[in-house]
Amino acid sequence: MSNTDLSNIEVNQKPVAKRSNPFANVFNELVSFCRSRSMFMLHYCTGCGAIELPPAMTSRFDMERLGIQPMVTPRQADILLITGYVSIKTLKRVILTYEQMGAPKYVIGICSCTVNGGMYWQSYATAKKLDEYIPVDLYIAGCMPRPEAVIEGLQQLMAKIKTDEANSWKKYYEHYDYYLGNQQHLFGNNWQTPTDIIGEAKTYQLEGPNTLGEHTKILESVQRPLEPLEMKL
Amino acid sequence: MQVTLLTIMEVILMPIVAFIIGLFMVLMMRKLAARLQRRVGPPLFQPLFDIVKLYGKQTQISHGMIHDIGIIMAVGGYVAAEALLPVPGMDGIAAKGGLITLAYLTMVPSLGLALGVGQCANPNGSIGISRALTSMLAYDIPFIIVIFGVAYQFSSTNLVDIIATQQAGGFSTWGISEMPVLAVAGLFAMHASLGKQPFEIYIAPAEIATGPMVEMGGKFLGGLFVMQSFQLYTASVLYVSLFLGGGENWITFLLKSFGVLAIPVVIAYLFPRYRTDDLVRLVWKWPVMLALIGIAFVMN
Amino acid sequence: MNQLDTLLLISLITALISGLGRRHQLIGWATAILLTVQFLALLSISSLGYGGTVIESAVNLTILGQPLSWRFDGLSWFFALITIGAAMASSFFAAGIWAKKYKKHGGNPGLLQFAMSLNVFTMLVLLASGDLLSLFIGWELVSWASLLLMVLAGGIATQWGLRYIVYATAGAMSILAGIGIIYHLTGSFAYADLAAAASTFSTTHVVVLSLLFIAGFGVKMGLLPFHLWQAGAYAETPGPGSAFLGAISSRMGLYAMLIVVFQLIGLGKMIAVEIPFTFLSLRDLLMWVAAFTIIFPTYTALRQNDARYLLAWHGIGQGGYMMMGLLLLDPVGSAGGLLHVFNYATNQAALFLAITAVVYRTHTADLNRLGGLVNRMPLTFLVLLVGIIGLAGIPPMNGFVSKWLIYRSLIIEGMPLLFVATVIGTLGTILSVYKLIHNTFLGQLRLEHEHIREVPWSMLAPMLVVATIIFITGFMPGLVLDWVASAQAALGFTPLAYTLGGVETARGSLDMIWLCGVLFGGFGVGALLFYGGGNKAKRVHQLDNYAGGHFLTADTRYHYSNNFYAGLMHHIGGWYRGTFKWLESSLISIVSLLSGLTQILFHSYHPALFLLITATLSLYFFIG
Ligand code: SF4
Repeated sequence: MSNTDLSNIEVNQKPVAKRSNPFANVFNELVSFCRSRSMFMLHYCTGCGAIELPPAMTSRFDMERLGIQPMVTPRQADILLITGYVSIKTLKRVILTYEQMGAPKYVIGICSCTVNGGMYWQSYATAKKLDEYIPVDLYIAGCMPRPEAVIEGLQQLMAKIKTDEANSWKKYYEHYDYYLGNQQHLFGNNWQTPTDIIGEAKTYQLEGPNTLGEHTKILESVQRPLEPLEMKL
Repeated sequence: MQVTLLTIMEVILMPIVAFIIGLFMVLMMRKLAARLQRRVGPPLFQPLFDIVKLYGKQTQISHGMIHDIGIIMAVGGYVAAEALLPVPGMDGIAAKGGLITLAYLTMVPSLGLALGVGQCANPNGSIGISRALTSMLAYDIPFIIVIFGVAYQFSSTNLVDIIATQQAGGFSTWGISEMPVLAVAGLFAMHASLGKQPFEIYIAPAEIATGPMVEMGGKFLGGLFVMQSFQLYTASVLYVSLFLGGGENWITFLLKSFGVLAIPVVIAYLFPRYRTDDLVRLVWKWPVMLALIGIAFVMN
Repeated sequence: MNQLDTLLLISLITALISGLGRRHQLIGWATAILLTVQFLALLSISSLGYGGTVIESAVNLTILGQPLSWRFDGLSWFFALITIGAAMASSFFAAGIWAKKYKKHGGNPGLLQFAMSLNVFTMLVLLASGDLLSLFIGWELVSWASLLLMVLAGGIATQWGLRYIVYATAGAMSILAGIGIIYHLTGSFAYADLAAAASTFSTTHVVVLSLLFIAGFGVKMGLLPFHLWQAGAYAETPGPGSAFLGAISSRMGLYAMLIVVFQLIGLGKMIAVEIPFTFLSLRDLLMWVAAFTIIFPTYTALRQNDARYLLAWHGIGQGGYMMMGLLLLDPVGSAGGLLHVFNYATNQAALFLAITAVVYRTHTADLNRLGGLVNRMPLTFLVLLVGIIGLAGIPPMNGFVSKWLIYRSLIIEGMPLLFVATVIGTLGTILSVYKLIHNTFLGQLRLEHEHIREVPWSMLAPMLVVATIIFITGFMPGLVLDWVASAQAALGFTPLAYTLGGVETARGSLDMIWLCGVLFGGFGVGALLFYGGGNKAKRVHQLDNYAGGHFLTADTRYHYSNNFYAGLMHHIGGWYRGTFKWLESSLISIVSLLSGLTQILFHSYHPALFLLITATLSLYFFIG
């Protein structure tokens, strides 16, 4: 793998200059607070860990009191829970799903398998380290972690969101070339999703110096056009 | 001029009031569901947190202009409809529209939503809309019989008149004591119109991935959350106006409207979901039958 | 030569010019402009629409000792306005680029224009008729003229046209029988004599006459069960022609019925007629016929997979609303019925023209072969949207106002079941028009439609004008209610007390100006929330779509269009089976029985009359 390992690199935090308008700051803080108190999770259930989510949601532990509720489609969701080992085939869907979510979006890797492959370390069909393919905000290790641990993890995430520190989703836009490279390494150079990450990065000024690179060039050469159907007279 | 200004003020205030009450109705619904499932449930401001967060999303996707306009119509249609629904102290333009107009005006947001979902080009959404319209065809028939009965009983389609007549006569002239059978049918129809279990066919998360909401994220979904609070408010306040004498003052008004809404909500969370054709059969059978019997009483 | 004669003359000249010059390139524009001149001529007698007195034509003919006269009153003017307006919209639409393509595909646009202008002329003659004989002549002229328009496309259209003419002939027979009986009873064809004598008619006469006339005129109107010819005949007509036919043609049946049955024989008497062994009076029976005319065709429309057929079936259903409103006999209901004639004509014209525009670009009206066109033809979409909101009767378009009046009247009169029946019709309409707009304009754009464009302005302009009319008359229904009130007065109803915004009564008013204001204010708030309340949304490709993690590609279609209301059809689908076949066969036997009876009646009862009628008919064949 030609790429440097990015998993420990911090996001290129453009220092969010404290706006001079106090109301704007209050407003930003309010939004962050609401974000932390309202998390819609898409439980894309891979692997075994999914079995720990129902108890976390239902009467015993009741996630809803923290404002966390399950949602069905990636468009609606804020958190992507990867609940266990990710096979190569599944990983494609995970990436598509992640790309379809609206930012700010957070990924939680539950189970040891998402950290380093766990007991599937030697499997030829399993992605080992999830954060080589999509940025992960938080890992909850364990084989498998109990609901208490899951909720503990979610609360940590909440704290990070509240202080505006959970920004790893920006990494995906700023270092898209790196993630795409790893994806191409796994799926071949024909790999593409119907989502337009580069266009999104441009629209929302989320580009970094590493958004484009050699891998995005390969993508451009194979990609089917994704321009939206403009309305025309 | 004075009157016009006053009306405009009311027309602006009424949707705001409706929205706030609606948020609490959403909260009540979720709290009740939680209590029934022996959970704690969400905190007080949860509905607001959800909406603020959804509007505050950084990246949003749209499938085109009609997708946007659909959401605008869905919210805007209800904002307009609230001006037709009298609350204590404010009549808005209720006298200029009336019951039938209100019933049809509440179709505008649904139509807007349907258009927006259509443009998403997602078959799940289209199936959801097809089911939503089917269930509308089902529950609107008893609903419209009920409306007829009430309008005939009070010989008026003006909601202000209807409420005034009930309040003047006290409990014995309330719709519910004059036309108890119709009131039951109306409650049934109202429950079905809320789209909660067991009539949840067009959301069906496990089957068609929340149908109309499938491609909605960010402020699109936020708009639908706003619409939901309006929808709950409209349904329960309309019922209160027709059968429970409207609100004499704000306290009774709130008590009645929250109380009425609690009934279908409690029933909803005890049931799974019907199939589409079963829903049609059920709604065309029982509430319609009840409503027709009720009409027979009213017409005599 | 007064203004009415001028109008009729211009109309005749239009028909002649477009007939003679039908091979000329510019004949489309010429016809359209001549129609505009007719419209202006009609406006010159617009006092009729505002309570003016009847205008008598200066032309008076006498055939076999029977005087023929023509005149215009508020009702005729109202219908004439719709007729010429619909013809103008269709004619302008067909005059420009549409004609070129039509010609390339083997059609003759000049002939289409001729057929339309001929239809307008015959309709004006019918609307102007001043006695039963001229009414009948006008009626026959209209029947044959619309046949010409229907069979233009050839092929399957001819079959439908033939079917139409079978029905129309049967209807004419029935009308002739009615006129024969009246002549036998009163010895005159004049309206005044009939109106005077009507009060002395026995119940049997009233019943027989009403049924004969309603059946006869009902054929043209598509009243159940005489509706089976209509959908196909209208749908297969070339695009603009079907817009014209759909908008107004069937309403001629309503007009004639209004004159003869409502005004002259007098519906009031029908309330008195009880049908034995039921609780119904004759009027109730007719109202139920109207209710079924609303429901069955509307739900048949729901099943159609061809946009043109879907609309044509709705045309039949909407006729039921007009009939229902008028049968209510009170100011509110009858105003609703008459207003619906106008509103429906605008809606149907807009819808048919929009669908014709779609066909112009995509060469198909099959609802399973379209989709996603909104990005390519946004203005056509807008027109269709306005049209469907109007047709479904949802605020703020004009269709809502007329339906509101009908509902209101049904509540005042205390008719719960009929009220429910009309609402069931409306709900069915909403379902099927959503299917129409969803399957054509929303959803996935097909690969083969990637490169199509909006239709040219020569087609867009008439559509947009009609759509604007729909909106404006919804916003200020008082504009049309003016004309409706004078039409009501001409018919002998108490005119509706209206305001510019709608109706103001003690216990239930409607003010569309306020309502539209608040509705658009609401949309403004919605827009503010949407555009101001969140980050700007980025448009995405239609393949960037949730499919449970599946990767969508353009080769697989995933537009949900076929069997759109599967759940509903699972339940009611069986009800459709065979009903219509059965209906038609039983109808045929009834018609043959009736025609046999009429013949016997004529032969044995009144040979002189039979002779007269035959003479008139042949004369008309010579003239026509
Ligand atoms: S960590 Fe253990 S429980 Fe979790 S996915 Fe891997 S094997 Fe299964």
